[in-house]
Amino acid sequence: MKPITLFAFRRWWRCLWLAGLLVSVGTLLAADFKFEAQLIWATNDQKSPNPKHKPVEAEVRKKLSDLPLKWKNYFEVNRKTMELARGGSQKVALSEKCTLEIKDVDGGRVEVSLVGKREPVLKRTQPLPKDEILVLGGNAPNATAWLVTLKRTE
Amino acid sequence: MKTERASSALADDALVRAAQAGDLQAFEELVARHRDKIYARAYSMMRNEEDAMDLSQEAWIKGWQRLNQFQGDSSFATWMTRIVINLCLDAIRRQKRQRAESIEEMDEDSGGVERHMPVVTVNPTERLERAELRARIDEAMDKLSPAHRTVLILHEFENMEYKLIAQTMRCSIGTVMSRLFYARRKLAALLADLKPAKPS
Amino acid sequence: MMDWEQQLKLQAYLDDELSAADRRRVEAWLARDSEAVALLAELRRTHMALAVGERDHQLPESREFYWSQIERGIRSAERTPTAPERSSWWAAWRRLVIPLGAMAAVVLAGILTVSQFNPAPGRESEMTLADSDAFTYRDYAGGMTLVWLSYPAESESSLSSLVDTLD
Repeated sequence: MKPITLFAFRRWWRCLWLAGLLVSVGTLLAADFKFEAQLIWATNDQKSPNPKHKPVEAEVRKKLSDLPLKWKNYFEVNRKTMELARGGSQKVALSEKCTLEIKDVDGGRVEVSLVGKREPVLKRTQPLPKDEILVLGGNAPNATAWLVTLKRTE
Repeated sequence: MKTERASSALADDALVRAAQAGDLQAFEELVARHRDKIYARAYSMMRNEEDAMDLSQEAWIKGWQRLNQFQGDSSFATWMTRIVINLCLDAIRRQKRQRAESIEEMDEDSGGVERHMPVVTVNPTERLERAELRARIDEAMDKLSPAHRTVLILHEFENMEYKLIAQTMRCSIGTVMSRLFYARRKLAALLADLKPAKPS
Repeated sequence: MMDWEQQLKLQAYLDDELSAADRRRVEAWLARDSEAVALLAELRRTHMALAVGERDHQLPESREFYWSQIERGIRSAERTPTAPERSSWWAAWRRLVIPLGAMAAVVLAGILTVSQFNPAPGRESEMTLADSDAFTYRDYAGGMTLVWLSYPAESESSLSSLVDTLD
């Protein structure tokens, strides 16, 4: 059996690297849209009981304060980014019980499905231009609320 | 108009439920029903119209803000009365602090005069019309200190037990008993047009 | 001569604040002490006099004026954010949904009016699955769409557990 020379190893390595690059570029080209989803806890309390929760960024806070919501403070529970190819779909878990699925519909509109406790809760289709935000929300115990924001970043 | 008429036909508890759900009109109806009682309690404790007006209105605002704490353990009017009493007590404390006294320490029990006053044998209810007697009582209450007047109001008009009065006035049961005893004895003397005897 | 403690005990007897054993002791004492009987009678007369009630102190203002000041106080307190009282899910839901409902109605009326002049080929947004009480609020200037689900916060079917990670 012919031993693997250093030259042969380098050649194989280059091929592998090239293949990886092609796959990455392909994936990048396939991602026509990028989204950012956040699970947010709305409360009037100054602090979240979970130290891992950070207050939402100032920009998000400003946006939320422009909505007819009564809460003073918003804490980020989880944040996920998603890439979507034209006509494709993507699913992310925002918490153990909350899953968000987005699907591109005819290249401009997005179908958003929210699943809570494994049960479909909402399915909504709407245009979501870059930088626009869709906020889904509902009441939580002790006069607090949960919010799921979906923003198209690209 | 229609809703105003409809709300005026509702019982207090239905109005409270509506108000708890954010219905300000229902709350307005509750205010209309009980404003005189709440104002009268503030007046009886503060003894002036301006304070009574301000504190009773403040009580209604607090009542609205705390409406979700009302569990229906007592009537709504009783619950509101407790709020206005507490506000009046705070106001009395503030006034006393300005005069470097505190209602908790205030012990104008006159050095034990009440212990030595002769027993009043005149029956104040005799030969007096109800309205006249009320007016006499009101006049006599005016002559009591805020602490003694308050303890009498809480016990005789609000039917509070010693323990609850002590909690409300933030003092010991012993102080409540002592103040109540003095207030009653002084009131008896005032109603009988007698002056308390000087301590021997 | 009665001592101070005895005088207060007599009053507590009148006010029904004694234990059964103390009551019996006071009754035995009253049976042999006329001074105690006289003091108790005075305390009782005052108590009875006060039972006729208080003088009516009528509110010196009209209902409208009195209420207008309270209402102003309530509104001004609501504008100043304060820590919320613990509220029932129903109250919280109603408080949010009523203004949202009004806003949704205005937005809907606006959309309907606009669509009269600009007939669109198809619906831009559609909700295919949500409870019928979901409200949508659109902030055109801010590029925001809010969809509020009216699930009760404490109900079993609630989505409130979405933020279970709080625990």
